[in-house]
Amino acid sequence: MSKIKLNWRIIFLGLVLVFLLVYPLLGASSYMRHLFILFFIWAIVAANWNLLMGYAGITSLGNIGFLAIGGYVSGILAKTFDLSPWLTIPIGGLVTCILVTVFLGLPALRLSGIYIALLSLIFADSLPSILTQTRDITGGAMGLHAIPPFFPGMDKTGVYYVCLGFFLLILYIVYRIINSSTGLAFVALRDSENFAYCLGVNKFRERLKVFALASFLTGVAGGVYVHALGDISPSTLGIEPFLLAIAMIELGGVGTFAGPILGTAVIVFGNEFLRLAGTLRLALLGALICVIILFYPGGVMQLVNQAEARITRLVGKRKRSPAKG
Amino acid sequence: METIINIIISGLISGSLYAAMALGLTIVYGVSRVFNFGHGVIAIIGAYITWFMLDVAGIGFVPSVLISMGLMFLFGVGMYQFAINPLLKKPNWEFSTVLFMLGAGILFENVILQIFGPRVKSIPLFVEGSLKLGFVQINWHELILIGIVVVSVILLSLFFKYTRMGQAMRAVAQSITGARVVGIDINKIFSYTFGLAFVVTGLSGILLSTKYFLNPHIGWEWMIKGFVITTFGGLGSTSGTIYAAIILGVVEALATLYFGAIWVWPIWFAMFMIVLLIRPQGIAGGRL
Repeated sequence: MSKIKLNWRIIFLGLVLVFLLVYPLLGASSYMRHLFILFFIWAIVAANWNLLMGYAGITSLGNIGFLAIGGYVSGILAKTFDLSPWLTIPIGGLVTCILVTVFLGLPALRLSGIYIALLSLIFADSLPSILTQTRDITGGAMGLHAIPPFFPGMDKTGVYYVCLGFFLLILYIVYRIINSSTGLAFVALRDSENFAYCLGVNKFRERLKVFALASFLTGVAGGVYVHALGDISPSTLGIEPFLLAIAMIELGGVGTFAGPILGTAVIVFGNEFLRLAGTLRLALLGALICVIILFYPGGVMQLVNQAEARITRLVGKRKRSPAKG
Repeated sequence: METIINIIISGLISGSLYAAMALGLTIVYGVSRVFNFGHGVIAIIGAYITWFMLDVAGIGFVPSVLISMGLMFLFGVGMYQFAINPLLKKPNWEFSTVLFMLGAGILFENVILQIFGPRVKSIPLFVEGSLKLGFVQINWHELILIGIVVVSVILLSLFFKYTRMGQAMRAVAQSITGARVVGIDINKIFSYTFGLAFVVTGLSGILLSTKYFLNPHIGWEWMIKGFVITTFGGLGSTSGTIYAAIILGVVEALATLYFGAIWVWPIWFAMFMIVLLIRPQGIAGGRL
């Protein structure tokens, strides 16, 4: 039975991959390519956020802030000093990692429960006022504009492939982290905290490691974001991107690898339909989050798993019944 | 010197309002360990109900505040029974409640925006004019605000000390298992706690919106100040919350004077981080 399960998932994954690779060549409209670029970037953000929330038990609420720091650093360096984005994106990630780990990770990861959520929310909330205060460098409330793309004179198809590359690379890294010894340590901590301590798992160190890595990768996503879209402003830190990201993770299913990516796909493409709702959009998003948490805590992945179990049961019955008869 | 004293007094005034703001958070967290991330919007709802009663229904100030408090109590009980109670039974209730209240807060905020519109509303001052003592000048209105806060804090502490319900709440706060052993109905206590906290929060929203202003988005700002205050004072400690609110109110006033209003947020963040680094249990909290 496990063979069937493995097979359809791998086939599905392969089909999606092939589709993503050839889609721009099949004459996708510029708008659809833009949506896919957004999907790639937000999937990176959601996967890293889920790594913190779903696996490491770090209840961070400030990941959009990490994105913004990485984006601003990379954008400013590329624009002001004419550095290549391929150099500034890693620098942006590194700066994000250091800043966030020092200001958020070290104080809050030692504590349990709610503190990291509080601290990270306040951290992300104090960023816009710093950005508007340092207008000369960051462009203030107007934000940064005309940030150079990855290669000079690149068109949307090129940007699409670069973002796809980052998307695959970073998701692969996240996948490897989940299945590494660090990931196993978190499983152990979740299942039996005291036993894990006895086996020599250092909770603080493992959490700090994952926190540093996720902030680095989210910072890189920020760099990709600014160079792909060309601008960033403090409104990126507003309530709506935050809500969208939370909805992506919750909708897909916290604590599963594929869930947040599926959730991102649904939200990025669904949000365009939600634009029809006008000003009620945020209310609908809030209601969506409430309903998922209250009634479908496993998200879409839960539904997928249930459907799969039912189908395998049906298939199994059908296979068995002729043998019986 | 004179400016400094005036600044400190205005800090004390805003500090006492922040204390009222943060008390609702502390009560809920202290008893049920649920951290209310929709706190600011709850305060806004209380203020909007009062504004509606005053301005549209046109009844006097005291009855509209009383009606608003009654509705907030029902709202709190309903919120607990409908949403928080089922969530508490799940294994990762701590974070689910956070996200749920965030989502609910955004939902309510935007519903308010739809109903009442984005325009700034104001609840009128109680009394015009101001009190002058030498160079110190205080509005009568602000004195009354402080008076209301002080009276409500005294009433709350009397409630916690002498009534059966208050004692039961304190018992649950100390140990849920122990409370259950002596026959306290946890579910009932939790739902009354939510009701009480929503009443206090709604009242603080009313007071804050008389001093500042009222629009659907202002609640988040109040809420984050409330977060810093409750952590600074020690999560779940009522007296610590009050001290912390007053200290932070004065610090905010001084920071505004010397650095400008734009630096208020980074300074709140810095204060918060320093507290977490040096004394994470807060100034009055013992447990962590």
